[in-house]
Amino acid sequence: MLNFLLTRLVHAVAVVFGVSVAVFFLIRIGGDPSALFLPPEASLEEIARFRHLMGFDQPLIVQFRQFLGRALQGDFGQSLRYDQPAMQLVLERFPATLELSGAALLLSVVVAVPLGLLAAVQRGRLADRVGLFLSLIGQSFPTFWLAIMLILLFSETWGILPPSGRGGWLNLVMPAMALAAYSTAIITRLLRSSMIEVLQSDYIRTARAKGLAPLPIILVHALRNAAIPTLTVIALQVGALLGGAVITEEIFAYPGIGRLAIQAISNRDFTVIQAFVLFMAVVIVSINFLVDVAYALLDPRIRRR
Amino acid sequence: MKRRDFAPLLATPLLARALPARAQPASARMLTVAQPNDAQTMDPAKHSAFPTANILFQIFDALLTQDAAGDFKPALALSWSNPDPLTWRFVLRQGVKFHNGQEFDATAVKFTFDRALDPAFRAPYFSRIAAIKAVEVVDKFTVDLKTAAPFPTMLYSVYEASFATLIVPPGEASVNLATMPIGTGPYRFVEWRRDDRVVLEANPDYWGGAPRIPRVVFRPIREIRTRIAELRSGGVQIAVDIPPEDIAALDGGATKIANIASDFLYFFNFETLKPSPLQDKRVRQAINHAVDVDAIQRALLGGLGTRIATVLPSNAFGYDPSWKPYPFDPARARALLAEAGHRDGFAITLTSRQGRYMKDKEIMEATIGFLRRVGIRVTANYLEPGVWAQVSERKGREGLIFGGWSGRDPDLVWYPLLYTGQYQSYYTNLALDALLVQGRSTLDEAERRRIYNAAQAIIHEDAPFLPMLQPPLIYGLDARLSWSPRTDSMIDLRKASFG
Repeated sequence: MLNFLLTRLVHAVAVVFGVSVAVFFLIRIGGDPSALFLPPEASLEEIARFRHLMGFDQPLIVQFRQFLGRALQGDFGQSLRYDQPAMQLVLERFPATLELSGAALLLSVVVAVPLGLLAAVQRGRLADRVGLFLSLIGQSFPTFWLAIMLILLFSETWGILPPSGRGGWLNLVMPAMALAAYSTAIITRLLRSSMIEVLQSDYIRTARAKGLAPLPIILVHALRNAAIPTLTVIALQVGALLGGAVITEEIFAYPGIGRLAIQAISNRDFTVIQAFVLFMAVVIVSINFLVDVAYALLDPRIRRR
Repeated sequence: MKRRDFAPLLATPLLARALPARAQPASARMLTVAQPNDAQTMDPAKHSAFPTANILFQIFDALLTQDAAGDFKPALALSWSNPDPLTWRFVLRQGVKFHNGQEFDATAVKFTFDRALDPAFRAPYFSRIAAIKAVEVVDKFTVDLKTAAPFPTMLYSVYEASFATLIVPPGEASVNLATMPIGTGPYRFVEWRRDDRVVLEANPDYWGGAPRIPRVVFRPIREIRTRIAELRSGGVQIAVDIPPEDIAALDGGATKIANIASDFLYFFNFETLKPSPLQDKRVRQAINHAVDVDAIQRALLGGLGTRIATVLPSNAFGYDPSWKPYPFDPARARALLAEAGHRDGFAITLTSRQGRYMKDKEIMEATIGFLRRVGIRVTANYLEPGVWAQVSERKGREGLIFGGWSGRDPDLVWYPLLYTGQYQSYYTNLALDALLVQGRSTLDEAERRRIYNAAQAIIHEDAPFLPMLQPPLIYGLDARLSWSPRTDSMIDLRKASFG
């Protein structure tokens, strides 16, 4: 087990390092932010002067060495736009994003699990068709469209929810709904198909034959086995939700890391992009690591591989 | 309270009746402004963005300000003069205090300018004030700004839209300006929750009279549908950048519309330095005749904004209302093209960004359509902003260029865009160069008007541009709010009030 954990840990560190190298060079391919940062009437000399002051005129490899040296000491540089430590900007906004993604995940699970179960049990009947149709909608409607429709209905037409911002739980309802749609659809479909598979297996037939009531069969015997792949997908959806929050936050003017990232990208605020990508990489790699560990605990075969 | 139901079929009357339609009725004590972006900093000299400037302008004052007509008016400076052509002397207002109680005087002005002019400070808008070579305190309430050459556009460099020249307090108070701004303005800083809101409260001791609205909040809401939803549901009282097609729906009931032609300029300039049909004056004139700008203005901007005869805002110094644009005349355009040897037209590139300015892409597409009718086949090359900056830096814009510009003096527009060798210039004309240099070398207004009239004659004849219009600034407002927009897009809440 220890060996397994160590190997996974080394992989995780390698991934985070690889991501930070990739993002460092990728964002610099598109040019540096000097000309974007200065007003349109700034002269070429002035752009050159600013570029030199910021160190963007140095060879990439020199810049990378500096970045790496500072990053290892926990210094991810100052944001060009905000003139503040880049990692601090990211960390400040993370609780808001976590709150939103958490609410969306909760919503997904609360909706998807009963829906998936019902669809599997009622396979081929109305409830199944409705469930499949809803998950098709959830998977195929773009988040931004859904978000705008929610605002039109709940804020403009009915006036029951605040259209934007962060404050009370009411502010979370629409963004969480928009963000949860896709995950809900995925989880519903997966749970449905795993349940259908399990419900056809021999031990379920045996349980039925010995006269067990349908509900205990579904909830106790079948769901337990169908839950393993579903749990994995739910865990992986955490990463997807954190990433998906980018668009949702922008539309609902929700002050999370997604908005910060979009603005940093359009402004070429290198240090903030780096801090954001690195932070997200760490979060997602950690989640995957935990999933791996959970797997190993649940299924001894994985440990031995 | 009037609401427009977008989906009456979906609206459940029970739910609608059970809950208040406007989530939070706007109180007369608070005004919330929704603009696309959050502040970048609370330090006026450390940013290059209008949304930030709009917030800081409530906290700080500049030496001068503008009235509704766009004329300069005293703010922290009461009067100004030129003892000699290289000196701008400002006599300062007395009895003004910063929010921390510090007295405003000439040392604050010197400190403000010296700080922003220090290259190590890296002020993004350094270029706006770079002509100022020294700041000299004459006495406690008189200060001289010295320049190396006559600088006729100085007043544009020291009023609020020059950003870095909002006056900050000298000494200790200036250390934490980025998070704790202290100015002389009508509102005091209360709180900045990043990407969420900036909260300000009225300064009852404001030298210009206490503001009528006690509390002001600026919220960053990028998505226009969300800004409109907030306005309709009473969450905000000023929503900026409303699209023209939403005017009809918002102008009535609980909301209203305010609009004004901006100082900004929509135009094409022509790449004339490299060999192409655009090097021929007749081709450039033909393009001017081929595009029906009035129709574009009516169809895409709802007739709002101002048609311009040259690339200069109609409220700029030296703009003569008798100047006329080329008339829309496709037959004349075809004749000129034939004369220039392009009877069958030609193909050309258009270089621009898209989605940067209101309706920019639609306007470019419409222009391409008009040009196709006279045989000019345009291929649009829309660049991502970062790539555009790179291309511009190596002077690689090609063909027809839609870039946008602003500036209320010919020297701020024509010199950078037309003077031979300037970074943004894709044109050369030595006779025009001579006039542009003369225009920036004297402070004599009558003389400058004469010079720029002569320059415009050359520009009109030689047609280095296709001038189009000053697009409108459109704001959605709470119907009870009394507030007027400004042509330079700065939001001034000094005189705003409800009812």
